[in-house]
Amino acid sequence: MSTITLSMKQSITVPLEAENITPDNLAGKSVDEIKAVTVYHGNSEAVIGDFFDVTVEGSGNDPASTEIIMKGDLTRVKRIGEGMSAGSIVIEGDCDMHCGAFMRGGKITVKGNADAWAGREMRGGEIIIEGDAGNYVGSAYRGELTGMRGGKIVVEGNAGDYIGEHIGGGEIIVKGNTGVLPGLSMTGGKIIIEGTATMPGGEMTKGEIIVKGGIIDMLPGFKFEGEEEVDGATLKKYTGDLAVRGTGKGILLVG
Amino acid sequence: MTILIKNGVVFDPAQGIDGEKMDIAIDGDKFVEDVSSPDEVIDAGGRMVVPGGVELHTHIAGGKVNAGRIMRPEDGRKGRIPRGKLTRACSGFSVLNTFATAYTYARMGYTTTFEAAMPPLLARHTHEEFEDTPITDKGALVLLDNNWMTIEYAKSGDLDKLAAYVSWMSEASKAYGIKIVNPGGTEAWGWGKNCSINDPVPGFDVTPKEIIKALAQVNEDLGLPHSIHIHCNDLGHPGNFETTIETYEAVKDIKPSSDRQVMHATHTQFHSYGGSNWGDFESKADEIAKYINKNDHITIDLGVVMFCDTTTMTADGPMEYSLHTLSRRKWSNHDVELETGSGIIPVAYSPKIGVNAIQWAIGLELALLITDPWKMALTTDHPNGCPFTFYPEIIALLMSKAKRESMLETVSEAVGKRALIATIDRELTWSDIITMTRAGPAKILGMSDTKGSLKVGADADLAIYDIMPESFDPTKDYKTIEDKLMRTVYTIKGGEIVVRDGEITATPHGRTFWVNPAGKKAEAARDGMLEDLERMFRDYYTVSMANYPVQDEYIPHGVEIRTEVN
Repeated sequence: MSTITLSMKQSITVPLEAENITPDNLAGKSVDEIKAVTVYHGNSEAVIGDFFDVTVEGSGNDPASTEIIMKGDLTRVKRIGEGMSAGSIVIEGDCDMHCGAFMRGGKITVKGNADAWAGREMRGGEIIIEGDAGNYVGSAYRGELTGMRGGKIVVEGNAGDYIGEHIGGGEIIVKGNTGVLPGLSMTGGKIIIEGTATMPGGEMTKGEIIVKGGIIDMLPGFKFEGEEEVDGATLKKYTGDLAVRGTGKGILLVG
Repeated sequence: MTILIKNGVVFDPAQGIDGEKMDIAIDGDKFVEDVSSPDEVIDAGGRMVVPGGVELHTHIAGGKVNAGRIMRPEDGRKGRIPRGKLTRACSGFSVLNTFATAYTYARMGYTTTFEAAMPPLLARHTHEEFEDTPITDKGALVLLDNNWMTIEYAKSGDLDKLAAYVSWMSEASKAYGIKIVNPGGTEAWGWGKNCSINDPVPGFDVTPKEIIKALAQVNEDLGLPHSIHIHCNDLGHPGNFETTIETYEAVKDIKPSSDRQVMHATHTQFHSYGGSNWGDFESKADEIAKYINKNDHITIDLGVVMFCDTTTMTADGPMEYSLHTLSRRKWSNHDVELETGSGIIPVAYSPKIGVNAIQWAIGLELALLITDPWKMALTTDHPNGCPFTFYPEIIALLMSKAKRESMLETVSEAVGKRALIATIDRELTWSDIITMTRAGPAKILGMSDTKGSLKVGADADLAIYDIMPESFDPTKDYKTIEDKLMRTVYTIKGGEIVVRDGEITATPHGRTFWVNPAGKKAEAARDGMLEDLERMFRDYYTVSMANYPVQDEYIPHGVEIRTEVN
């Protein structure tokens, strides 16, 4: 078991592209080796040591038993944990976009807010966002056909617009409210929204969306199928979206 | 600069050289007999030395390529290479940026690339992108068949006016030749309809066949270097091989103005389908090949499909819409006023889908069943069948039955039942391949004096591949073909070394060839034609005629080819 602590030295305005900050990349490395790992500051190449104080406690080469703790002002640090397959990252504050994109395993905990595209196109693992999340949580990036396919994202606060766009598998749970069009073009997986949602499930062909707090502006492409008990609550069940070709196999449950 | 290439095993089908060990000399931008004290000596060490590749049908510049780039940001995420000392940043897999297109072609040994579909109204855009596509020499074929002027003249049979119009348009759009795409069908699509070869075009009472014959005749009357270049009606429809053969038959009696075909039929794979629906869809490559083998007035290119996620783009709008109804993927259509239209849709060809697997088989079958390699050029209709980066693998498939057998195990069983590929034993030779990628396309384009050969006086375009033909068995070692044809040891373009050991070493501007047809045939009816054209602009175009022709500033590296028939 080893713990790597990365403390941001100062606040930055130009974002840092930090896709190399994963347990897979940093496990087993010494302090100096970690400081020499590449990050991009805007379009110029830099190293972790330029921006972070680094400490390492314990030892071990196995990403699965490596924990990365990130401290300081991380609001402009993007792509933390991109593609990670094991181990854990704890972000003690807010982070910038694309946190946990392409993630395959392990766990990321964001103690503050995460900006847009958290868990974009992730395949496995778990992301816990204790604050609010931005737009496009667990979505497909521009033009891609499939977003999140596996794993789990939990947002303790509110989430933005278009969460779970093109989601094909896995689970997104939002404890608060969401913006417009959660589950847009969804083809599988599950989205649970404890609060409210606006126009959920547009163009969905499969998968399940549960909105416990009620819907603002229900889309017309959904057909009422009756009532259903879910975890002790009685929810109205709809299927859709009938506006797209197919059989309307998407399920929308509304409190 | 003078260069001497020693100890190469040379393939130059245009001169009948088939794997001979010899030296090649370059002085300036031309091949020469010999150089006395060369500035640079390249020891090829028994490696394969061939003319620079000639691509006669690809989609690399202009409105629809760019629309594809905009529509597919996810494609731009692939193939990313940061800028280097000489090279600009690259991106894209099927819709590459202009720089990636140029560098990739050059690394694969290609030095001439022809954009196959330029709408006249978007000619400026095409030429501007050419300027940003370094290294290769280029040319563009202009779309003239769904154009109201053409259709009207075909209907009235006024071939003198049509000749005047074609020559005016060639000069105005700075085009190399005439492209025909689903004649009448794209115009009909403006009304939600399509046309087969004998259906009257809505509103015009003339058939696509009459349009094709008129343009073919005018092409020869004007003595253009290339023949008409046609994407036949009914592309991609089951049973379309009959339309294809009827199209070939339509121009049989027209005499070519030079030693070449009367019609070049492009991406023939998409036009060699049997059956009556997608359920009984089957290969008719044998019927097409039989016709080509028997007749000399037609040449084709293959349009091979390989399994990948690519982007299709064509002036054939109705075809793209019908693909959308099958796949439901994002798509776009574009109407180019009274000239043409276009459509774009991403397509993922899958080996497990019977129709896709049969399409894959047909492209290869055509190459294996047509006996004369001079009659067929290797293309994938980039990016419609697949990106041009699949050429090495396609060449491996054509040269090795073992490779085909290993691939057949991974594709749908439908190929065994409704295609012929498994029954064909032929394995193409290096000479066949070099003909299909160099000498053949150069001759088809009417450029055999300067392109596709290492002969004295030709443009010094050349590629050296890290393959030792004298000790290499392509039928067994197909993996090496796939690997080595991707990156040359040297590519020389116009006497300049542009690639060394697979890396770009220079990025000169390529030239843009365009044809200016002059002489009595072009000018006899010009005044009457201009009156008609002025009326057309006044009544229908969104631009004025004065603003229409491409100004010289847009093609600073243009090379005018003047034809004169009196």
